[in-house]
Amino acid sequence: MQTRNFGTIAYEADSALEFPIGLPGFESRRRFVALRFVESDPLVYLQSLEDPALCFVTMPILSVDPQYRLKVGSEDLDRLGLPATRQPRIGEDVFCLAVIAIRETGPTANLLAPVVINLKTRQAVQAIAPDSEYSHRFELMPEEVAVCS
Amino acid sequence: MLVMSRRQGETILIGGEIEIVIAHIGRSRVKVGIRAPREMPVIAREVELVSEENRAAAGATHEALTGLLARLQPKSSK
Repeated sequence: MQTRNFGTIAYEADSALEFPIGLPGFESRRRFVALRFVESDPLVYLQSLEDPALCFVTMPILSVDPQYRLKVGSEDLDRLGLPATRQPRIGEDVFCLAVIAIRETGPTANLLAPVVINLKTRQAVQAIAPDSEYSHRFELMPEEVAVCS
Repeated sequence: MLVMSRRQGETILIGGEIEIVIAHIGRSRVKVGIRAPREMPVIAREVELVSEENRAAAGATHEALTGLLARLQPKSSK
């Protein structure tokens, strides 16, 4: 597959992620792959398989906020093929990514609407958390992260 | 902003074509029914916020990313 940012990439057919309703603003884009490179760790790129130029930069949500509490609405649980009786656990049932936007004022992570991926079926949604206090523009504080190194 | 008080089951009409019904009032949320012409998009505000964020995110340039990475990664891994 040709991509704008990574040249030609090879991927296993069963590693493709299926977004049954796309992502808000990109409703017609349904298939993505998650790409991770040693040199850009901890970033995860969500590359569209339908549009070579479309690629979201994301980070595992627990890398942004280790205490993040995932809350997925019943409609999104249904789209993920997960039971509505309990919330999915990050790392066990689902993989959870925060989409990163980079503006002049600095990078922000969307904690209001994490990308949630069913680890078993690879179905995915960008799930807008119901009644959430999380910000859609959580400021990543890279200076603070750098101190940890 | 015009603010109206309505009871459960009551309706508001906007411009003759849009009808808003207060379908159910719960403890912390209300269910609202909306009848509008098909061509009129009706979405929750959060969906629009997330769309805007996604459009901004999709436009990230390689240079901006390099800057972000330089700050996220420990210096030793360079």
